[in-house]
Amino acid sequence: MRPEIKEYNYDWMLWRILDPASRIADGSLKELDLAYRYVPYFKGVLDPLLREGLPGRLFLKMINTYFENLHTAHAKGKKIAITTFCFSPAICYALGVVPVTLEPLTALGGLMWKRGTFDYLDYACEMGFTETSCSSQRGALGAYLAGLGEEIDFLLCDTPGVCDTNANAFAFAAAFLDKPFYQLNYPQTLGDNKTDNYHLADYKEMIRFMEDQSGKKLDLDRLRQVLDEVDKQDELISDLEDMQRLIPNPLPPMYNLFNYVGRFLFAGMPEYTRLLKSMVDKAGENASAGRSGLRSGKEKRRLFLCYIDHYSLNWNFWQWLDDHGIAHMGSILSRGFRDNVCYTEDLEGSTYSVDTSNIDTMIDSIAQMNARLPMVRSIRGPYDQPNMWLDESLVMAKVFQADCIIYNGTPGCRNTWGMVKPFAKEIEKHGYPVHIMYSDAFDDRIESWEATRERLDEFFKIRGLL
Amino acid sequence: MITAGCDVGSLTSKAVLMKNKRIIGSYITKSRVKPEVSAREAMQGALQQAGISEDQITCCVGTGYGREKIPFVNVAVSEIACHGKGAKWLMPSVRTIIDIGGQDCKAMKIDASGKVIKFITNDKCASGTGRFLEVMARVLGINIEDLGRMSRKAKTPVILASTCTVWAQADVIKYLNSGYALEDIGAGINTAMANRIAILANTIKAEKDISMTGGVAKNEGVVTTLSKTLGQKIKVARKADPQLAGAIGAALFAEEHKTEQGGQQ
Repeated sequence: MRPEIKEYNYDWMLWRILDPASRIADGSLKELDLAYRYVPYFKGVLDPLLREGLPGRLFLKMINTYFENLHTAHAKGKKIAITTFCFSPAICYALGVVPVTLEPLTALGGLMWKRGTFDYLDYACEMGFTETSCSSQRGALGAYLAGLGEEIDFLLCDTPGVCDTNANAFAFAAAFLDKPFYQLNYPQTLGDNKTDNYHLADYKEMIRFMEDQSGKKLDLDRLRQVLDEVDKQDELISDLEDMQRLIPNPLPPMYNLFNYVGRFLFAGMPEYTRLLKSMVDKAGENASAGRSGLRSGKEKRRLFLCYIDHYSLNWNFWQWLDDHGIAHMGSILSRGFRDNVCYTEDLEGSTYSVDTSNIDTMIDSIAQMNARLPMVRSIRGPYDQPNMWLDESLVMAKVFQADCIIYNGTPGCRNTWGMVKPFAKEIEKHGYPVHIMYSDAFDDRIESWEATRERLDEFFKIRGLL
Repeated sequence: MITAGCDVGSLTSKAVLMKNKRIIGSYITKSRVKPEVSAREAMQGALQQAGISEDQITCCVGTGYGREKIPFVNVAVSEIACHGKGAKWLMPSVRTIIDIGGQDCKAMKIDASGKVIKFITNDKCASGTGRFLEVMARVLGINIEDLGRMSRKAKTPVILASTCTVWAQADVIKYLNSGYALEDIGAGINTAMANRIAILANTIKAEKDISMTGGVAKNEGVVTTLSKTLGQKIKVARKADPQLAGAIGAALFAEEHKTEQGGQQ
């Protein structure tokens, strides 16, 4: 790692960019232009966000608040826990714990710096990770392993039996950092009472662990408050997804990212609710006017991403979609499987509900919500639903009327990369053109954005989509 | 006593002749298909330079990729051992050696006596090796020697796929077609190379003094970027061509071998 990178903590550097950025976001165009003169490299990062209007500004402020919370946590007597995008942070907020969700933090580095998280990715390898380990954790985690992040108090993950690469990264980190660690463990089946009971018992045990680590008892009023907020958020997400089905889709491509980053960092917190509300309002305006959310206003194609997005500098991927008139119909990251969503009719038993009547129903609600986070659902493929990824992708493509499907992930993703070719063949049989991106969503050194973009161009042209 | 070291690598073959631990002849040539032909060519060149004949050599040690195929050696010794010894001779203060060969790269730590105490080799394909730079120079249409100098002139080095040489090559072609400055592409290539090597060096916890051996040690772009990445100066050997390190180590082993044999008799 270059010595200059070690001068400041990774999460501090991100915050130092986001804090002034969120302040100038409310400025006039003249003030913005002046600011860009001093930070020309960040124009590409900030401009696309601000073009989204209020939702873009609220997104920026929300992430800034997240980093502010992280950096003031210990001073406020709060604990910090490393966790994953497969795990809902709502329980952390109920217990006053600040979550460090690794994957969005890695993505932010890739979106904001040309160098991405290269130094941290490599540092993790130098400490013992393999280069084929998942880059989504490795980027941000490398910084924390190097001591270049806020001091971590404990780790939480829920990926054993879901994603071994992810689970191993957390186990490695816990041993390396010598910190307490709790892993929720999922049984091989899904949707039966035995599994639900097992998961609930495991989740309760995790709460006890969190109480021990944080020194705070779970406050029922606080838990209810968090779940009420989750309820509002789920309602807004459901509205967004309903509108997303319209032709043209009134949601701008970046809304998909806003949605899941908010959920991974701020589920159950009012900052995320405000963001979602602004997105619903803006998308609603577009919908009433019959307008596409794309800048051009013309929707040429509708794309469903069967896994994740591509986190290259300056929001390259979303810009590319927008420039080409391609509407983003979501990815596995944006789906929550709440009982009010539009895509679960054909997916019996896949949803969860929120019931705040008493402590048991609340813990059950939050545990069930957790069991529907990305990877835990969809990619897992339990014994009783081995074709889950395929089945759910087909349902999403049908419900959201996608014209094509793209896979993007990381070579470290055993669960998807390892089976994506037969998966793609199956999807093609249903009439959807499929493109497999061989890039790494978090590391442009695997395939440069220039090469990725060219392959995307080829796919859309050759398959007659554009 | 004249001893010889012959290092047959995947890209180049090197021969060194030493007398009283001083080089009296050396030669570097491109490796041929058959290691024995490469070895013969390198040794003939070194003999010619020293002005001696083959029968004057007391002992010859072979090393490198093709060491088992060299017909005229007395003993074959591993590359890592030879590079450690050769690097120590080139720079007595060295403790960490980064050797970049044609098809692999290695980082090793040696003790004060020159004994290798820790080493690691690359776990990936050609990226991070001399072959990577050779392929890239060919795509850029420049001499490999000129590639190193490009980092100095670059303004915004490009980001390059660095896990796979073929993909990196495709990237370079795309950048060329898109009109990127040649210097920025060259610097991107050197940076990609340096970053891959840095992982190895950091894995064994590189300690001062650090030196590079192998042909890539002559690429100032890689050396400078690697120094920056590691935060430690990489010293470049001046005593002799760093590309000869393996062959020098082999010649030194030949002397030891002969001395040991003499002692036993």
